[in-house]
Amino acid sequence: MAVVAAFYLAALFADFIAPNDYRAQSRREIMSPPVAIRLRDGEGRWHARPFVYRRRLADPLRRIYEEDTTRAYPLALFARGHRYRLLGLFETDVHLFGVRAEDAAGIAEAPRVYLLGTDALGRDRFARLLVAARFTLLVGPLGTILASLVGIVVGVFAGYAGRAVEAILMRAADVMMSLPTLIVILAARAAFPLELPPGRAARLLIGIFVAVGWAETARLARGLVLTLKTREYVLAAESLGLSKARILFRHILPNAARPLVVQATLLLPAFLLAETSLSFLGVGVQEPEPSWGNMLAAASDINLLAAQPLLLLAPAVAIFLFVFAVRLVGDGLKARGGKNISS
Amino acid sequence: MLLLLLSRLAQGLVVLFAVTLLTFALLGAAGGDAVSAVYEDPRIPAESLERLRAIHGLDRPFHVRYARWMGGALRGDLGQSFYFQTPVAALLAPRLARTLALGAASLLISLAVACALGVAAARRRGSWVDKLSAGVELTASSTPRIVLALVALVVAARWSLFESSGAGGAGAALMRFALAAVVLAVPLVAIFLAQVRDGLGEALREDFVQLARAKGLSERVVLVRHASRAALNPVITVFGFSLGSLLSGSVIVETVLGWPGVGQLSVVAVRARDVPLLMGIVLAASLAVLVGNLVADVLLRLNDPRVRVAESK
Repeated sequence: MAVVAAFYLAALFADFIAPNDYRAQSRREIMSPPVAIRLRDGEGRWHARPFVYRRRLADPLRRIYEEDTTRAYPLALFARGHRYRLLGLFETDVHLFGVRAEDAAGIAEAPRVYLLGTDALGRDRFARLLVAARFTLLVGPLGTILASLVGIVVGVFAGYAGRAVEAILMRAADVMMSLPTLIVILAARAAFPLELPPGRAARLLIGIFVAVGWAETARLARGLVLTLKTREYVLAAESLGLSKARILFRHILPNAARPLVVQATLLLPAFLLAETSLSFLGVGVQEPEPSWGNMLAAASDINLLAAQPLLLLAPAVAIFLFVFAVRLVGDGLKARGGKNISS
Repeated sequence: MLLLLLSRLAQGLVVLFAVTLLTFALLGAAGGDAVSAVYEDPRIPAESLERLRAIHGLDRPFHVRYARWMGGALRGDLGQSFYFQTPVAALLAPRLARTLALGAASLLISLAVACALGVAAARRRGSWVDKLSAGVELTASSTPRIVLALVALVVAARWSLFESSGAGGAGAALMRFALAAVVLAVPLVAIFLAQVRDGLGEALREDFVQLARAKGLSERVVLVRHASRAALNPVITVFGFSLGSLLSGSVIVETVLGWPGVGQLSVVAVRARDVPLLMGIVLAASLAVLVGNLVADVLLRLNDPRVRVAESK
């Protein structure tokens, strides 16, 4: 739970946490390794404040960087950097950390802090990782909630409707569950232009996901409705003459809520992975907008990867941690509420 | 049994029809057709585009086009790929064979691992094996195949496993195959492991297992002859569902690790917006999954007489 929350905080405050603009390109530093943050300078003296050195491209072919140790640039908390809108509300240029503005003043090429190095266009990979989380963590849950809602409506409907409707709906759900989802998604994706602005891409991804993701939730919801319909308290409510809608919303759905939420925690990683896959293949979130998927795509160049494993590790760890955390939340919910509705 | 097979077959055909119709409609409704994707060159005059459309029959109404495609597909003719300029069926067949081989290999791997761990865990609940298998399950299920495939790529680069791919290349191809199969298998291990562990754990507490023990049968015989048969049901059911996941996974794994199967082809087809090729791929993939599900249905009924009895009533 804490990890999931941390991911959201990081995504929300991406501009604040990252010292650099995720779109800014630096011609001087392309595919550079992370900037070393030091406490001890070249002459062996210790500094109270961590600092960085300026870097120079020593060998453009092999991309070897050298540090210019003549001057140290201390880091500061709440340093000033590029301007941005915090949470889209108010404008500021304060960042969590960075090189102090007064030190950087007067130098044409101020040193920048690249925690994870830069990508092929000289953009800060750390900033891109955080900003990518913003898209993924917004679109993922949205798609999951919508898919769950559709699934619940279909499932409840199947649970209440007659046998024929139920059979048709559930066979449809079975088919959806067994189809090779990614291939169907890819085929559906081909119906739209390859290049899409991020907003439209997001809507498209959500739409496609809802279309293929509702099935499992529908099966579960139907099962729950069928079980709960025979419970004493529901029968009691019926004999009291309560309306069907009231029984459904006041008595059945609240009791079905927990397993359905657990199911949603299984859907979310699936959606996230689908989004990552599409972005990886270049048909999801596209450059210049960052996403974990297209950051991974940069790592599929085997020569670059051998030189800089961080290229793969950073987005991979982000994906893994997030999925893992969501799973744990789901498991926790399941363990706590397991007794409630075991059948 | 025969009746069931026939009804499942009929259902499968309906499903195939629905899936292809939907895909066809989606691809057709999205405006630009395959011709415009291939010839987006402004230098090509509109009338020659129109002529091309007429040649490929793209100027006909939707239902005519679908009927033509379906008629061709029934005769084994999936049309011409716009991108490769070769018949789709000829393009697809060797690719499908390679992907199916890959899928079969990773199914075997995942089943072997899941059974070994799951049986050990179910026999000693709460032991270290049990905890280990729970850990494996959670880790395997939250590691995406993309990441695994890229890690495999790094490993291959580090030990130069793909080196000989230029000359001869049989060894390198085998390496690719093996790595891809392992990567593909990992998420399946999680799914199967959960079923084996829980299913067998439950079965070991059933009355008939207690009876077998009371008869003085050895634990081995109890496990193999009595408990495992009951525990096999959920595994078979999950096997049916896992085929789709295998094919989906093959898209990424084949692309990253360079195994020339259907998955890789589908990426090419999407990038080129090659409609006939995509239709062929969707058809082939759905067909493979449906056949797999049919096999799973039959296996389930062979294994468990209870299902058979419940149905004949």
